[in-house]
Amino acid sequence: MIRKEAVRLIAKEIGNQPIISANGFMSRDLYETNEKESNFYMIGSMGLASSIGLGVALKNPRKKIYVFDGDGNILMNLGSLVTIGSLKPKNFIHIIFDNKVHESTGGQPTNSKIIELERIAEVAKFKTYKITKNEQIKKIFSKIKKENGPICILVKIEESSIRSIRVDISPPNIKSRFMKSLK
Amino acid sequence: MNEKIQRQIFNILEKKGIKNFIGVPDSTMKHFIDEGLKKEKILITTREEEAIGIAAGISMSDEKSLVFMQNAGFANSLSTITSLIKLYEIPMILLIGWRGFLKDDAPEHEKIGEIQPELIKIIGLESKIIDEKNFKNVCDWAMVKLKKKKTIGLIIKRDFLD
Repeated sequence: MIRKEAVRLIAKEIGNQPIISANGFMSRDLYETNEKESNFYMIGSMGLASSIGLGVALKNPRKKIYVFDGDGNILMNLGSLVTIGSLKPKNFIHIIFDNKVHESTGGQPTNSKIIELERIAEVAKFKTYKITKNEQIKKIFSKIKKENGPICILVKIEESSIRSIRVDISPPNIKSRFMKSLK
Repeated sequence: MNEKIQRQIFNILEKKGIKNFIGVPDSTMKHFIDEGLKKEKILITTREEEAIGIAAGISMSDEKSLVFMQNAGFANSLSTITSLIKLYEIPMILLIGWRGFLKDDAPEHEKIGEIQPELIKIIGLESKIIDEKNFKNVCDWAMVKLKKKKTIGLIIKRDFLD
């Protein structure tokens, strides 16, 4: 499974709930496959999707907050897992799409094939799941609907040369739409 | 800045509607942070960028936040300020310690202390130095700016050595 396909299928399961998606190809895939106002597309500030998601989750306890992260992205902010795991927000779902490379910058390797990210999340007190095939998506998402977070789902994906379009909404507008959707 | 005023600043800002105080500790403002810890209003993060990210999520949920940090942490945060806070126009207060203000501070603070005022200016962060005399007015100024959806800096000088 490639990221674009995984993003499409998972965002469909999430429906209208808020998603904070990491910068680079992650946000572009989400924008092309499942554009909606409750998506916060990041452009820049790599590593911070989970932190922004935590802030949103803490202040919106009645909504489930989803973070779309990459392996390279979370590796830039591993401390975030410690902060989230300490606060234990019940409505926080962290989805890490792991292709073992920095695809947005040309496919340079991360070290996620040597160090298992789901085990780091586990130590940080996340409930963890792993998806390796698209048939597992429906089952895992119906299971986590009844569970309390923080939850981490590691989605193993393959590298791909398919490129989605750029997010062409201005950042202040991405923010305003997102804020309106939270109300 | 003395202990009493640091605690007072925390209480003024809290009373004026700042509900979240997030950041990485700085001994320059340890009484300010301690006041918040006593009231269970402080979230300590692992890095300053993380704190700004959390504050951004909170700000987008319509609550006001302050992020505190040393000036070393301000240097860490430059990209987050340009490509998150400025780019998306997300308001918050950044409370930044000014180590290296005294010429004989520890060596690791010398360079950043020297370039800090210019760095703040270049990055386009509107800021004021907060001190024992002007703190009430500066807090008022900060809240007015925040209501206008601006991100601003409050700078505390490190006026002692330990």
